[in-house]
Amino acid sequence: MTTAQPRRSRPHKTFSAFGDIRRMPSDYEVVTHAQNWTMRKNRTSAFEQNPSSPPNLWFLTYRDHSPLQVEDWDAFRDPDALTYRTYVGLQAEAETKTGGVLEQYAEAGADATLSPGQVSLLTKVFTPSRYLLHGMQQVEAYLGYLAPTSYVTNTAGFATADCLRRVTLVAYRTRELELAHPGAGAGSADRGVWERHEAWQPARKAIEKALIAYDWGEAFTALNLVLAPTLDDVLLRQFKEVSRDNGDQESWLLSSYLEEDSDRRARWSGALARFTLEHRPENEAVLRRWIDRWAPIADAAAAGLGTLLETLPERGRSAREVESGARAKREEFLSGIFSGADVSTGKERAGR
Amino acid sequence: MALLKREEWQQYVRDVNWTYSYVDDEAVYPEWHSGTGKVPRSAWLTWEEDYKVTYPEYVATQRDKESSAYAVKAALQRSTTFDHLDEGWKSSTKMHFGGVALVEYAAVLGELKMARFGLNAAWRNMATFGQLDELRHAQITTFFGHEFVKKDPQYDWTQKTFHMDNWVPISLRNLFDGMMIAPNVVDLAIALPFTFETGFTNLQFVALSADALEAGDVNFANMISSIQTDEARHSQQGGPTMEILVEHDPVRAQWIIDKNFWGSARAFAALTGPAMDYYTPLEHRKQSYREFMEEWIIDQFVHTIEDYGLKKPWFWDEFMRGLDTWHHGLHMGLWFWRPTLWWRPKAAVSKDERDWLREKYPNWETVYGDKWDVIIDNINNNNVEATLPETLPWLCSMCNLPCCNAVQARNGRWRVPEWSLTYDGKTFQFCSNACRQIWWKDRDNVNHETLIDRFLAGQIQPMDVGGILTHMGLTPEVMGDDPDYEAWTKDYAGRPATGIAAVAAPAGQEGA
Repeated sequence: MTTAQPRRSRPHKTFSAFGDIRRMPSDYEVVTHAQNWTMRKNRTSAFEQNPSSPPNLWFLTYRDHSPLQVEDWDAFRDPDALTYRTYVGLQAEAETKTGGVLEQYAEAGADATLSPGQVSLLTKVFTPSRYLLHGMQQVEAYLGYLAPTSYVTNTAGFATADCLRRVTLVAYRTRELELAHPGAGAGSADRGVWERHEAWQPARKAIEKALIAYDWGEAFTALNLVLAPTLDDVLLRQFKEVSRDNGDQESWLLSSYLEEDSDRRARWSGALARFTLEHRPENEAVLRRWIDRWAPIADAAAAGLGTLLETLPERGRSAREVESGARAKREEFLSGIFSGADVSTGKERAGR
Repeated sequence: MALLKREEWQQYVRDVNWTYSYVDDEAVYPEWHSGTGKVPRSAWLTWEEDYKVTYPEYVATQRDKESSAYAVKAALQRSTTFDHLDEGWKSSTKMHFGGVALVEYAAVLGELKMARFGLNAAWRNMATFGQLDELRHAQITTFFGHEFVKKDPQYDWTQKTFHMDNWVPISLRNLFDGMMIAPNVVDLAIALPFTFETGFTNLQFVALSADALEAGDVNFANMISSIQTDEARHSQQGGPTMEILVEHDPVRAQWIIDKNFWGSARAFAALTGPAMDYYTPLEHRKQSYREFMEEWIIDQFVHTIEDYGLKKPWFWDEFMRGLDTWHHGLHMGLWFWRPTLWWRPKAAVSKDERDWLREKYPNWETVYGDKWDVIIDNINNNNVEATLPETLPWLCSMCNLPCCNAVQARNGRWRVPEWSLTYDGKTFQFCSNACRQIWWKDRDNVNHETLIDRFLAGQIQPMDVGGILTHMGLTPEVMGDDPDYEAWTKDYAGRPATGIAAVAAPAGQEGA
C-alpha cells in the first residue's frame, strides 16, 4: 500500500480544529467549537441525503443562502462563555433567589393586599404574557436549530430555556393570583386576553410574524435585535417600575431577576451582530433592512401594551411614555452595535 | 410556608397553545417540519408527557449531577489509570468519543427542532429540556475525550470525526441526519426518543459502562452512567407522540419504527459489535453482542411495539440471522481497512478468543475462520503488506457500510449475496434486502452518492489508497493499525501457510 506522507506535526495538546495555536483554548471553547457537522467544510449539502431533499433545501435557502454571511462563523464567541455546566449552575442559583422571593411574599400574604388596579395590571399584562413568551421560546429554538455555528446554537438554546424559565415563573404567579383573587381572570381568562384584547393584538401579530421569519438571520434580527429588546423593556423594566409605584414589590423583584436573562441575551446578540459587521461590512445593509422592517412592528406592540400600563393601575404611566421609553431602549442597544462601540467581544478567536 | 406543589400550577406552563390570526397555522408548522400528515391537527392537543418536570427542578438536579461528574474526573485526572488501560478498551473509547460526541450534538439540533415545530406546547417544553440534556451529553463527552488528546492523537477524532468524509462518519451521518435533524418532528419523536433512545442507547451505555468498570476505566463508566440518567426524561417525548400517531396512522408509525430500527441495528453492528466481541479483553467479556442484543434490545423492543398494537418489522428474520454475521463481517472489514480508522482495531482471533467466538456463534469458524487464517499466515510470514487494503469495498447505497453480510444458501454454502436495483438508469448496490427495500421506499430522500460513487466519479484525487486516506482525513499519527499482531498470531506460528497466503507469500519466506 502506498500512502501520502504529509509532514509530521508536533503532538497536539488540543483539538486540531483549533489550528496551530499557542494558547490553549478555554474549556468553553473546547466543548463548543465546531460541534455542528451540518456546517462541515466541503459538504455537498447539509445532510447526508439527496441534495434536493426538502430538509437540505430548507437549510440551503434559509441558512447557507441567508443574506447575512460571514466567512467563518466559528470565530464567534459568547461574551458570557456559557457552557451547559455554567448555565445550570447560574440558573439553579437564580431560581433559588426567585423561589425565596415567592415563598417570602406568599408567607406575608402579599397578593391579598394588592390594589384592584395592580391586580388588573397583573391579570391583563403579566399573566397573559406567557403566550408571548412561549412564542419567543419557539423562535429562539428555531435560531438554535438553524444557526450556522454551534457557538450561536448554544446561546440560542440557553435563551430558549430562559424563555421557559420565565413562562414557568409567570405560570406559578398565575396560579397564586388565581387563588388570591378568584374571578380576576388569572388562569381562566389569560388566553382570551391574549387572543382578543385590543391592546395585545400588535404584540401577538409581532410574534406570529416572527415565527414565520424563516431566514435564520432575519429571525435573529426580528426577535433578538428588535422585538425582544423592545418588549422586554415594556414587560420587565417598565412593568416592574409601574408595579413598584403601585405597591407591588414582589413583581418588582421578580422582574429584576428576570432582567438578568434578558440582559444576557442582549449581550450575546449584540456581540453577534457586531461580529457580523466586523467580518463583512456588507452585513450592515442586511441588518438595517431587517431592523427597518421589524421596528414599526415592535413599536406598535409596545404602544398597545402601553395603553394597559396607562389605564389599569391606580398610578399608571402614559402609553406614549411606555412606547417612547421602549423605543429609546432599543435604539440605544442598536446604536451600540452600529457605532462599533465595544467591539472587543467575539474577537478572541482560537487559531489566530 | 412552602411553595405551591407543581401539580397545582404546571398546567399554566404546559397550556400555552393559541390559535393564530395573523399568519396561517401551516406557515408556523409547515408539513416538512411538523409532519402532522393524516393526524388531525386537533389530535395533538391531547399530547401529554408522563414525566413532569419544572424548570427550577431541572436546573437544581442538573447542577448537582454536573458537579459530581466533573468531580470524579478531577479526582482521577492525576492518576495513571489511563496509561494502564488495555489497547482494545482504549479503541472502544476512541470509537465511542469519535462516534458519539457530535451525535449528541445532532440530538441537540433535533430537540431544538421539536422545541420549535412540535405540535403541542407541552411537547415543545419537554424538547426545551431535551436540547439542554443533549447539550450536556455533547459537552461532557467532548470534554472527557479532549483530556486524552495530549496522550494519544487518535482522541483528536472526538471532535473531528463527523467533519470528515471518512466512510464511518458518512454512514453515521446518513443514519443520524435522517433520524435526528432532518425529519419532521413526528417522525423524529418516533425515531429518536422512541426507537433509538429507549432501546439502542442502552446497548452502548449500559454495556459500555459495565465493560468500562471491568477494564478499570472509572472515568468513562462514571461519564456514561451520568449521561444515561438524563435519558428517562427526554425520551418521554416518544410515547405520547406514538400514541397519537398510532391511533390515526398506524401504517406510518410502523414504517418509521421499522426503518429506524434497521438503520440503528446496522450502525451498532459496525461499532458496538466489534467493541463487545473483539476489543474487550476475553477475561472481561460478560455477554456476547448477540446475547446483549437479545436481552436489551429485542425483548424490550418487541414488547414495546406490541403494546402499541404494532407488529414486528417485516425484516425480522433477516435481522435475527444478521446477529450471527453482520458484526463479524464488519469487524473483519474494519480491521482490514484499519488505516481508515481513528482507533487501533484488535483482530482478537487467538485460539482462546476463537474458542469463545465458536461457543457464542456456532457458525463463526465456517464463515470467518478460513479468512482469518489467511491473514494470520500472512502475518506469520512477515507479509503484513498483503493484509493491507489496495482498494475499496462496495458500500451499501442505504446504510453506507461495506457490503459484507454472509448469508447461508439453501445448499448450505455461505456467500455474500448481491442485492442491487436499477433506478433512473443507474445500478445501486446494497448490503441486505431490507436496506434495498428501505432505499426504494425512501429514494427521493436518501438517493445520494456513496463514497464509492464519489471515488469513481473522480472526486477523490489521487485515485489510490493514499488519496483516499487523505480524503478521509487520516494523518499518519492517527491512522489505525493493529496494536499487537503477535497477541493473536503467535498461537499459529510455525504452521504451514495455506490457501492464498501460501501463494502470495514472498519467495523464501514460506513457513518462516
